[in-house]
Amino acid sequence: MADSTVKNLTPEEEELIKDSLKRCSPESIEAALSYRRTGNTDLIPVVILGIIERFLEPDIRPRLKNGADELRIFEDLGVDSLTLVEVIMLVEETLDISIDNNELRDLRTVGDVKIFIDCKLKGLPLPEKALHIPIEEIYQDLPHGPPFLFLQDATLRQSEARGTYRIAGDEFFLEGHFKGNPVFPASIMLEALGQLAVLYLVKTKSESLPKQVDKDKVFFSSCDGIRCTRFCKPGDKLTLSIKPKRIRHPLASFEGHIMAGTEKVAFAEEISLIFDFCGEAESVAQEGPGSAG
Amino acid sequence: MPQVAITGLGFVTSIGNEQVTVLDNLRELRHGIDYFPDFAGADSPVKLAGTVKDFSVNSCDPEDWTYPDAYRVRREVLRGLAPHGLFAYCAMQQAIEDAGLSEEEVSNLDTGIFTASAGSAKMLHSHLERMNRHGVNRCSPLGIVNSIVGTLTFNLASAYHIKGASAGFVSACASSGHALGYAWDEITLGRQKRMFVVGGEDGNRESILPFAGMRALSQCKDPEIASRPFDKDRDGFVGTGGSVVMVLEDEELARKRGATIYARMVGWGQASDGYNVAISHPDGDGLANAMRRAAACAKVSLKDINYINAHAPSTPIGDLSEIRALKQTFNGDRPAISSTKALTGHGLSLASIMEAAFTVLGLRHNFMPGSAHIMSLDPEATGLRIIKETEDKGPALAMSNSSGFGGANVSLIFQHI
Repeated sequence: MADSTVKNLTPEEEELIKDSLKRCSPESIEAALSYRRTGNTDLIPVVILGIIERFLEPDIRPRLKNGADELRIFEDLGVDSLTLVEVIMLVEETLDISIDNNELRDLRTVGDVKIFIDCKLKGLPLPEKALHIPIEEIYQDLPHGPPFLFLQDATLRQSEARGTYRIAGDEFFLEGHFKGNPVFPASIMLEALGQLAVLYLVKTKSESLPKQVDKDKVFFSSCDGIRCTRFCKPGDKLTLSIKPKRIRHPLASFEGHIMAGTEKVAFAEEISLIFDFCGEAESVAQEGPGSAG
Repeated sequence: MPQVAITGLGFVTSIGNEQVTVLDNLRELRHGIDYFPDFAGADSPVKLAGTVKDFSVNSCDPEDWTYPDAYRVRREVLRGLAPHGLFAYCAMQQAIEDAGLSEEEVSNLDTGIFTASAGSAKMLHSHLERMNRHGVNRCSPLGIVNSIVGTLTFNLASAYHIKGASAGFVSACASSGHALGYAWDEITLGRQKRMFVVGGEDGNRESILPFAGMRALSQCKDPEIASRPFDKDRDGFVGTGGSVVMVLEDEELARKRGATIYARMVGWGQASDGYNVAISHPDGDGLANAMRRAAACAKVSLKDINYINAHAPSTPIGDLSEIRALKQTFNGDRPAISSTKALTGHGLSLASIMEAAFTVLGLRHNFMPGSAHIMSLDPEATGLRIIKETEDKGPALAMSNSSGFGGANVSLIFQHI
């Protein structure tokens, strides 16, 4: 794929690209021209970021500066679906590719867009589609329930799981944590990450998870390297994410992050769960004590 | 039945982009007509237009546009606008400030918006060209909403978070008269408490020059006299663009919130010629019926009308038709008559509300603008009191007329408060 785009650009083509990108940063214009001349796909992220930035309101643009890949296109950047079409169209024009409408549906973050276009240009298979799990399904799939369920929706991939929880303010424990000053407890944040990890184990099929995990046989085992950096209060919307580090029955360990908007809230180097598959002997409960999830 | 008060005005016109300038130019009869760069090519025998100043909207890419610093339009709004959409966005902002409305008063179930524009031929043309050249999937995603008829309604209703009625009216040069009339209905029927009424036109090569095909445009090269309604040597209209916004309110509500009331709209009427697709009725029968119906609706006697802002676009046939309509309607009564198109040019879908707004300014500030640029009055108009100079005496009751293609005629009546 990349090879087919390598060619000497005519001055007219070069002018056309420059004109299409006239409101993008000089670096992204240079990167686009250079990609078209050399086929060097390393330059793609610069072009994509430059194009996305061009469509953002000036007050939103600084958000792209660090950790852009995690930013959600709609929620964090205020981009609507029509603007995403504008972004994709400009990408098509400048990188000389064509993208099918159906392929756009699962692009949720800046990182998703970058990976997607990178795969297209390199001719690699597209990353697996994310599985969205609404609250009703979460309720069915997890052993947890209100008032101790801290996930409101979730998106699963092999490589990671994401979820959200909006602090309503009427959670029972906020009455005492603290008196007259409701602060979401760090222990509950850890619990929320744990619940997301349980959901991942129950819903994922992979080499290391060849059979259905029994939702009633997943328990907390240990955690390590927890750092909290921001108070969270009623009204905050927490974005949770976990990435599997090592999964080998009966142990699974994950790395976890929590953000509130674009601000970092908490980081867990390692959260370990112990689990068992459906129909296995009752080995887990004896091995690993601890509360579910 | 609720009374309808006018409580706010906004202007982007060839004779000014804020109310004080418009008022001054209107009273002093200073026109806004000039050589128009869009018409400079050797292909066009038409050279003049009523030009909107301080806006540069010639590109088909809204992000290229420049406009006065008083306005700030976010990209997500701007990308959906036609040139006249930007004019209207700005006029709307003026009207809201002028009426002293809060965000909540603009955005609620009892507040609606009616608009009138012919869409944007320029934007539509550019999109279709792009589609034909680059393929269907490369159409701009906002290409439809920033070009088709209705563009004003879609954009203003969303940008200003309108929750009540929203719709557009299309009857060519009577369009914004219909929008005003039906907005008046909404309030008097108790369906809405407050209505924004908006008229707009691009006023560019694509929206004006095609009228040359029917020989409706003036080919005069002198801006000082090109638009001269009721003159015997008039040779066609001079086109213009811009936008005017008027706020109509249930008078009781307006008084309760302490709003300044410009005037009261007391009724309107419409009737059609049933005659020709583009030529007005030779005796002005449709317009005469519209004026009678307006008076009946307003429950006023025609002889109590003191001033008429005529449609008279400065075309040989159009002005004559209206002269005859006025003669048969006002048989013996002598209201003052003028056509302010001499100053602005003809705003097509914008014309009716622009002239209604001028009429309302006259009611508020006690004057009747003169009919400028008449060197020798059309002999057919003998007997009508066409005023060549501004008169510093305000009307008690004033009428504003509009006629559109297909013989659509609208007449609006306003009352001094």
